[in-house]
Amino acid sequence: EEDDEEFYNSKELPDYACKYCGIHEPNCVVMCNLCKKWFCNGRGNTSGSHIINHLVRAKHKEVTLHKDGPLGETVLECYSCGVRNVFVLGFIPAKADSVVVLLCRQPCAAQNSLKDMNWEQEQWKPLISDRSFLTWLVKIPSEQEQLRARQITAQQINKLEELWKDNVDATFQDLEKPGVDEEPQQVLLRYEDGYQYQNIFGPLVKLEADYDKRLKESQTQENIEVRWDVGLNKKTIAYFTLAKTDGDMKLMHGDELRLRYVGEMHKTWAGVGHVIKVPDNYGEDIGIELKNGAGAPSECHSNFVVDFIWKSTSFDRMQLALRKFAVDDTSVSAYIYHRLLGHEVEEVLFRCHLPKHFSAPNLPDLNRSQVYAVKHALQRPLSLIQGPPGTGKTVTSATIVYQLVKQNGGPVLVCAPSNTAVDQLTEKIHRTNLKVVRLCAKSREAIDSPVSFLALHNQIRKLDTNTELQKLQQLKDETGELSSVDEKRYRMLKKSAERELLEAADVICCTCVGAGDPRLVRLKFHSILIDESMQATEPECMVPVVLGVKQLILVGDHCQLGPVVMCKKAARAGLSQSLFERLVVLGIRPFRLEVQYRMHPELSRFPSNFFYEGSLQNGVCADERKLLKIDFPWPVLDRPMFFYVTQGQEEIAGSGTSYLNRTEAANVEKIATRFLKSGIKPEQIGIITPYEGQRAYLVQYMQYQGSLHGKLYQEIEVASVDAFQGREKDIIIMSCVRSNEHQGIGFLNDPRRLNVALTRAKYGIIIAGNPKVLSKQPLWNHLLSFYKEQKVLVEGPLTNLKESLIQFAKPKKLIN
Amino acid sequence: STSESHAIPSAPRKVECAEDEEFLSALDKMVSENIQDRMREPIKLSNVDISVPVVVKSNKKTYDQLQDSNNPDQGTMGFVLMVRKGNKQQYKTFHADINSELAQNLRDQELVQREE
Ligand SMILES: [Zn+2]
Ligand SMILES: [Zn+2]
Ligand SMILES: [Zn+2]
Repeated sequence: EEDDEEFYNSKELPDYACKYCGIHEPNCVVMCNLCKKWFCNGRGNTSGSHIINHLVRAKHKEVTLHKDGPLGETVLECYSCGVRNVFVLGFIPAKADSVVVLLCRQPCAAQNSLKDMNWEQEQWKPLISDRSFLTWLVKIPSEQEQLRARQITAQQINKLEELWKDNVDATFQDLEKPGVDEEPQQVLLRYEDGYQYQNIFGPLVKLEADYDKRLKESQTQENIEVRWDVGLNKKTIAYFTLAKTDGDMKLMHGDELRLRYVGEMHKTWAGVGHVIKVPDNYGEDIGIELKNGAGAPSECHSNFVVDFIWKSTSFDRMQLALRKFAVDDTSVSAYIYHRLLGHEVEEVLFRCHLPKHFSAPNLPDLNRSQVYAVKHALQRPLSLIQGPPGTGKTVTSATIVYQLVKQNGGPVLVCAPSNTAVDQLTEKIHRTNLKVVRLCAKSREAIDSPVSFLALHNQIRKLDTNTELQKLQQLKDETGELSSVDEKRYRMLKKSAERELLEAADVICCTCVGAGDPRLVRLKFHSILIDESMQATEPECMVPVVLGVKQLILVGDHCQLGPVVMCKKAARAGLSQSLFERLVVLGIRPFRLEVQYRMHPELSRFPSNFFYEGSLQNGVCADERKLLKIDFPWPVLDRPMFFYVTQGQEEIAGSGTSYLNRTEAANVEKIATRFLKSGIKPEQIGIITPYEGQRAYLVQYMQYQGSLHGKLYQEIEVASVDAFQGREKDIIIMSCVRSNEHQGIGFLNDPRRLNVALTRAKYGIIIAGNPKVLSKQPLWNHLLSFYKEQKVLVEGPLTNLKESLIQFAKPKKLIN
Repeated sequence: STSESHAIPSAPRKVECAEDEEFLSALDKMVSENIQDRMREPIKLSNVDISVPVVVKSNKKTYDQLQDSNNPDQGTMGFVLMVRKGNKQQYKTFHADINSELAQNLRDQELVQREE
């Protein structure tokens, strides 16, 4: 029909028509202040209205109502403080009066004087209710209108938002253009050859790189106040606090930031620096060490801008590794090449002289399964060692490395995805008296670690054989600069000293991406061990692998968390599957370490049965995991565990749901306080919670509402499951948060994440949550049933815990 | 005709998909993070006078009066939104649904007062 055609032709629509569906009733539309696009307050076939969909997906927060709408042209803002963030705005009605006022929830709606002024403070309600704006602000288009409008799906909305990131003027019609819609090719189990392998992984790495670039470059922050300092190395340091970084953005040591001065007290200035301090429990300060402090406006303190600098280095190295794997037949041995591609190759054993004693000097003696793991690894060109939690994975890895050096000489390359994991392993290997070099990224040289003295840049400073280099280094340290002739000479000398040290090393340790460092280019590594390999993406793993490997040992545990892939498209296509996991799927049996030395035997029962087919044995007995002289009301004396039934309401009703549960937080505080009072030190306790909202709230709550001194609570680590992977605590308290009936438990339904959460504690674990909701997940249903059978599903005050008779929900369907 | 209108769907049907789920959790995250940020940041309370305006008070109507006077549609009631433009107060009238929480709340308040 003619009407329809006109309707769908967006050129004919007024500019205030909903950019998603075309609805253009002035009553029903809102403008986003940031991108000036209009959206309607109808939800079509999605869960939230179009304007809310847009604000959430684009991370925009401010809106203006249409001049012909119910309230006329109005910018939504707090009456008192003027904040325009609609996610914190709400309204309060007057007591028995038909007047309302818009106020932000914090601090304006919380001030005490409101009551005296005849406002009904307790009646504060958010402006966003049920995922759309309140209808007295913006009407909801009628159902018939919505049916007549363009039927846009959540997928299309998502894509359109993606398009807008590159081209603000993109329209719905652009979605139909070829190329936009294409999903990348899925990863495979087996590959024909290295070229096909590169052709599939290359685009995924590109997607992730693009995502990362966009994220970093969109994080510029203005109005930054700077505090200046000078480091021990005489370099200029700038400290400042960033407002709110995007939830997805994690600032890391070594990241690059650009600081710019835009005020009028000094000529414009910009300088780049590496992050040397990140926000933590002790403060929100960020510190950057400037590459070149000369000319920095250190007398100015305000009017600075901070940009995040995206670096392509790690992605470039992955791409290079993929190419090398395809084209360079010396990059890996033929055997490894075919095994990695999933070709049918018979397993071979090296003919080698196995040592009499498998343990390494200064490391603990190995147990049976650890000895077999070492033997297994030494004899094979490709082996997978699976180390469930607490099974001595690092010691086993260090011993394997020691034996490899004894057998074939060095250098052996040792990698892990994270710097922390590399440092841990480096420390253990160093104990065996092997010559170890820890190679750090240049941007991380200023960052201290327990193995700093092993870092290449520090070892070079201590080389007393090269006096000329030392003199130049001293001169450079003192004056900060060298003449160009001296600088050239200095670099040359440093380079050859570096090469000398690397060539003489028995073991070189670095992150996976660090293995792409140009300083390693000319070295060949016969043997490579990658620890925590399940946390690396496949291309990341390939960076060390293509350095000539003939013997590859992947250590990991595919039952724990995998790599973090930010770009959903790339993750969906399979980039979040690790090489370790694919090789397991291909039928390469991982050799599993079987004795765990971490958990109280009662704590390891469920993880062993559920995640490791009951194969985990206990290397510690209950007595060794008893908290002596600690009076804590465990419901069953010999079982230091319980599930604390909490049915607290979630905080922000109306705006959908939220990841904040105050009752649960209060309970967690009570438990923590009880432990502290009975003599547990705060650093023995770890609190796990899956949502940032709850984490931040808990930290605040304990500090200000906790009955003990605030400082004590600061030492308690409160973090996500992911932050605890690879680590342990004496006591773990877990706050599950979700108690909303209508939604799934998101994040918590990944078995690997649950496994990690349950296996961090050595002495005791307490889980606080709502069984009614959690039990809908088959995984949690199992866990809850286990706790119930053990008579440790309890409720009531801590001083009087009683078995709970709460009924579980039927689990939806059995996954896993 | 009636048979025809029966054939057309009455409302858009919600389509469940991963993108929609992502939206749901992103919204939750956004709300809680933004509120947490406000709690963490030391924001000073401003000295703006927020007292209920007298002008409006003198024109005060009861729930029943509001219901039958000055209403464009049945089933709504008039309210005033107090906003600030720069330093000036502005009052914007609007109509809320009789069944809305806002309207119900006002009625409850009046009932309480009458009983007193
Ligand atoms: Zn719309
Ligand atoms: Zn926008
Ligand atoms: Zn405010």
